[in-house]
Amino acid sequence: MSIEQADMLHGLSAADATRLTSLGSLVHVPSGAQLFALGSEAHGVCLIERGRMALTLPMRVGARQEDVLVEERTAGQMVGWSGLIPPHRFTLNASAQIDTDVLVLPRAPLLEFLDANPAIGYVVMRNLASVVGQRLQVFQAMWLREMQRFVESRSS
Amino acid sequence: MVMFLMVLCMSVFGLAITALAFGAATRGLPVEPEAPLAATVDERLAAVPEHFFVRDAAPQAAPVPRLVPNIPAEVFLAQIERHIRLEHAAAESFLMAPSPESLHGRTVSPLVH
Repeated sequence: MSIEQADMLHGLSAADATRLTSLGSLVHVPSGAQLFALGSEAHGVCLIERGRMALTLPMRVGARQEDVLVEERTAGQMVGWSGLIPPHRFTLNASAQIDTDVLVLPRAPLLEFLDANPAIGYVVMRNLASVVGQRLQVFQAMWLREMQRFVESRSS
Repeated sequence: MVMFLMVLCMSVFGLAITALAFGAATRGLPVEPEAPLAATVDERLAAVPEHFFVRDAAPQAAPVPRLVPNIPAEVFLAQIERHIRLEHAAAESFLMAPSPESLHGRTVSPLVH
């Protein structure tokens, strides 16, 4: 799929999407390599052009600490939106499950571009809200399912 | 003779009063079935400490409940990953058609069953 069809750019004309993506640089992430780490500073957002990223969180399993898969993101999807949301720190680890190419859009030039082009900025922020909201709703439902099981285990 | 009869009557009367009082006191109490002798003995044996001088022995820490099942960590991690994928899919299908039934639909995850 082309980068212009990415979830962050949905609703933009091809010309506007190209102007926006020209701000970024393509980065190759080999299979197994880490794109960003939990707690590190988020300088920008990433659009996956090709491949698949795993978003993980550390979990203690027995005496060991392991990275446990939380979500998978594939081509056309955005990762690292902490780059646009204060305090600009990543809240997950991201690593490539297979050879992956991502377009990294640095925060400062991106925000300058969106300020200068409010119509594009509105569409991008609406898309960002959709991505963030979808994550929130999915995890809200997952949390409620766990709570339901907790209640059932306590009442049985 | 009169004295003897008098003592006898008093004794019989006292016995009758005692029987009546006992009957009144025990009436209405639930009758528990007697526990088998063997079980009672086993419970007593179980209550006996392993060492006689218990107070001399250092207190032992209560065993920590084992939360992680006794399986290889890699297998357990794979189960966690599968569980999260299934829960993620269930949550996404709930968002497609929100309802209490779709929210709390059953899962086939081995971590739940």
